[in-house]
Parts: sequence; C-alpha cells; structure tokens
Amino acid sequence: MRSLVHRAVLEGLAHVGRTVEGLACHAGQMWLLVSRVAMATLRGRVALRDVMAQLHSTGVESIPLVCVTAVLSGVVTSQQGNYQFTGSVPLYILGSVVVSSIVLELGPVMTAVVLIGRVGARITAELGTMKVSEQIDALHSLSRDPISVLAGPRLIAGTIAMPLLVALADCVGIFAGMISARISAGLGPESFLYGARIFWHSWDLFYSIAKGLVFGFLIPFISVHMGLEARGGAEGVGRATTSAVVFMIISVLVVDATFPPLFLG
Amino acid sequence: MIEYVGIHKSFDVPVLSGVDLDVATGETLSIVGPSGTGKSVLLKTTNGLLEPDQGDVRIDGESVFASDGALERIRRKVGYVFQYAALFDSMTVYENMCTGLPDHEGRSASRDVLRKVCLALQDVNLEPALVLEKLPSELSGGMRKRVGLARAIVGRPEIMLYDEPVTGLDPVNSAAVSRLILDIRERTHVTSIIVTHDIQQALEISDRVALLEHGKLRFVGPPDAFRASDDPVVRAFADRHAAAEAALRILEANGEDRKEEL
Repeated sequence: MRSLVHRAVLEGLAHVGRTVEGLACHAGQMWLLVSRVAMATLRGRVALRDVMAQLHSTGVESIPLVCVTAVLSGVVTSQQGNYQFTGSVPLYILGSVVVSSIVLELGPVMTAVVLIGRVGARITAELGTMKVSEQIDALHSLSRDPISVLAGPRLIAGTIAMPLLVALADCVGIFAGMISARISAGLGPESFLYGARIFWHSWDLFYSIAKGLVFGFLIPFISVHMGLEARGGAEGVGRATTSAVVFMIISVLVVDATFPPLFLG
Repeated sequence: MIEYVGIHKSFDVPVLSGVDLDVATGETLSIVGPSGTGKSVLLKTTNGLLEPDQGDVRIDGESVFASDGALERIRRKVGYVFQYAALFDSMTVYENMCTGLPDHEGRSASRDVLRKVCLALQDVNLEPALVLEKLPSELSGGMRKRVGLARAIVGRPEIMLYDEPVTGLDPVNSAAVSRLILDIRERTHVTSIIVTHDIQQALEISDRVALLEHGKLRFVGPPDAFRASDDPVVRAFADRHAAAEAALRILEANGEDRKEEL
C-alpha cells in the first residue's frame, strides 16, 4: 500500500515536472521567436510584398465576418439594455450602454474571437502542415529564413490589421445598436447619441484600439509558434491547431481581464 | 569534398553513433540501410538541417556549423531533394522554382529567371509550358518529384543531396528519376549523396555504397565490392532486398495480368 502511494506521488511529481519543463520550453521558444522576428524586421529581411499579402488575407478578407459579428453584438446589446431598462432608467442611457459595451469590450474581444477562428487556426494548420511535410526544412535548405518569410509577415500584418478591424467593429456595432434601439425601443438616433455622449470618454477609443493592437500581436504570435512546433503528421497538425485555438482564446481573455485594472483604474 | 567526422546524434535514443565518412568531389555515394538507422539524419547534417550532438561536417574544409554565415554559404552550394519533394503548396511551380534561385534573383521576374527555370524543368524532362502555372496539388507524384529535383538544380549547386528519391514511385518513374540523377551528375559533375532503400538503384548509379546499421557504418565501398562482400550483415541486407524486389515484381506482374483480364 505504501509503495503504491509512494509511486503515485512520484508519478504526480514527474507529471508536474514535465508540465513545468514543457511550459518553460514553450516560453523560451516564444521569446526566441519574438526576438528573431524583431531582428529580421529591423534588418529589413521581411518583404513588403509578403506583409501586404498577409494584410489582405488577415485584414481585408476578415472584414465581412467582423462586420456580421459587430452587427450582432450591437443588436444584442441594444435589445438586452432595452429589456433591462424598461421603466426604471431613462431610455437614452441605452446609447451609453451600447457604445461603452461595444467600444470597451465587445468590439475588441469579438473581433479577436473571429480572428482566432479565421486567421489563427489557419496559420497554425498551414505552418504545421509545412513543418510535417518538410517544407520548412526546404526553406532552410534553400537559404530562406522561415522567420523572415513566414513568421514576420504574419505577425506584422496581424498587429497592423487588428486595430483597424477593431475600429471598424466599434463603428459597425454602434451603428447596428443605434438602428436596433430605434426599431425595438423606439429610441431615435438623437436620443441614442445624446445618451452616448453623457458618459463618453475619448480615452475609451484608445483603450479599444490598444486592446486590438495587443490581440493582433498575440493571435499570429501564438499560432505561428504552435504551427512551427507541430510534430507527427496530420494528427500532430490537428493537435497543434486545437492547442493553438485554446491557448489563443485563454490568452485573449486573460489579457482582456488585465486591461481594466491597468488602464481604467 | 564532404567530411563527416565522428557524427553522433540522438532523439531520446541514439540514432548515429560515431559516423566517419569522406565523400570526394564529383563522387556519387549512396547510403543504404534498414529503416531507422539514421540515413536521412546523416544527410540532414550535411546542410545543417540537423546539428549533430557530437562531431562535425566539413565541406571543402569549412565546418557547416562554424557560423551562420558559413551555413548560408554552404547551403547555397547544396541542392536538396526531399523524400516527398516538399514543394510549397501555396506557390505555383514557377514560384517554387524561383525559391531555388538566390533571393534577389528569384524575386526579379526577369526573362533570365524564366529562362533558367525553363531550362531546369527541361533538364528533368518536364515541359515548362504545361507545368509552370500549376500548383503542386495539380501534379502527379512523379511530376512533383521532378519539380523538386528541378528546384534543387536551378541554382546550379556543387553538391546534390537526395533523400529517398524514388520512394513512392512506380518502377517506370523510379527508373526515370535514376536516369535523371545520372544525367545531372554527368552534365554538371556535382558531388551526390543519395539516401535510398532501393539497393538496385544504389548499385547502378553510385561510385560507392555505404551501409548504415545501428547508427554505424558497416560497409563503405564500390558496388562490385558490395555485391562480392562476404560480411553476413551486408549479404543479409542485399538478399532481403533482392527478395523484396522479386516479390514486388511478381505483385506488379499479377497486377498487370488482372488489368488485362478486366
């Protein structure tokens, strides 16, 4: 009995040790990735053509989905507010609720979720497939640096595109919320905007864009790292993609939770 | 001249355990051996795709791992043909070929680049007009392999490394790729190292054959010496493969008969 307990404790400790070792290894590799991308960018080794191509696939091609998500976020917020305020709070406050919810929270987070699904998962699967099919080795053997050719353009494009997409989502979400307030609550645009202006802080917009900037770096960063670390054929690529999506969602939510105490305190 | 000096490499378990080997300039050497004995690992140390745990690889006296600059210089001298071609899926054949040229040249899209690409494709018996704009997914396995070969030679390397060049090909395509390797060698006098399971191919196209067993070199010598060797391990390997080849030929013949019957 004692030997069984002893073995269970040892196995538990070994598991914890392996997990810590794995995390430390990931952290080291991620730091290396960031520094190598920074060096490649500063040395001008990241081709503008590749960045533009990634900006198109990450930014331009995401616009429809980001708009749909923003419209739905605006509509839902407006309807929820209308339901909760009925008879207790002046209805024009709905404008403030919709604008603050969209700008501070839903615009950046929902856009990040869209990018995780549409761009992050694709990047991990694409790079993972390249890794297991020796295409990354082929780049090395052709004297091409995968960091300059693959990682750099994706990270730069994500960091540029995401704040712009967040700004777009904010505008579309607020507009959709305003239309929804008109239809479902009979609140006119003037009253809606009057309510929005009462509690408006210009800082909120910078806050929203800053969140977009951080998410825009995090999503391609995690997805590139997980893709380049994929091992073991199609199954390995699937595993890497799933892990990347989970890791990206958790990271976005953790960063989202740390923003208010840091910037709205 | 390529020199492997005391190469050790482990992936949890030892794969290479002290390999010493020299390959002379212009020579064609085939590395054969059972699966998992480290043939591809040894090949990948040649252009720094894998770094040995111990030992060194030198090309023309320069260590592959001396510095990033040395590695880049050496990689420009070396063409590498991957087992499954490793073409870039999102690029056309033309774009794939351009990656085989020096960076500034590959991006210039000049007539000279197009001419070089077309010549390399013709060297591997592909009609440029038919394949240039195609994606790798639109090519057959044999054509992909040839494009992989063309991409490796378009930059006119001094050394060619082939990782299982005929794996997954039917006998006709397999023979065609073997002929291409010989053609390339005769035209350009490159130093070639071929990792292969196909002992027949190794004996036909090589100046020397090296047999790797349990991470160590068991035999290095000319094809005639390999055939005449009385080393039981060499004999067992050659006989096992001869039997497998014979079985394959019977299966293929049966397949042809079935096709005719149908």
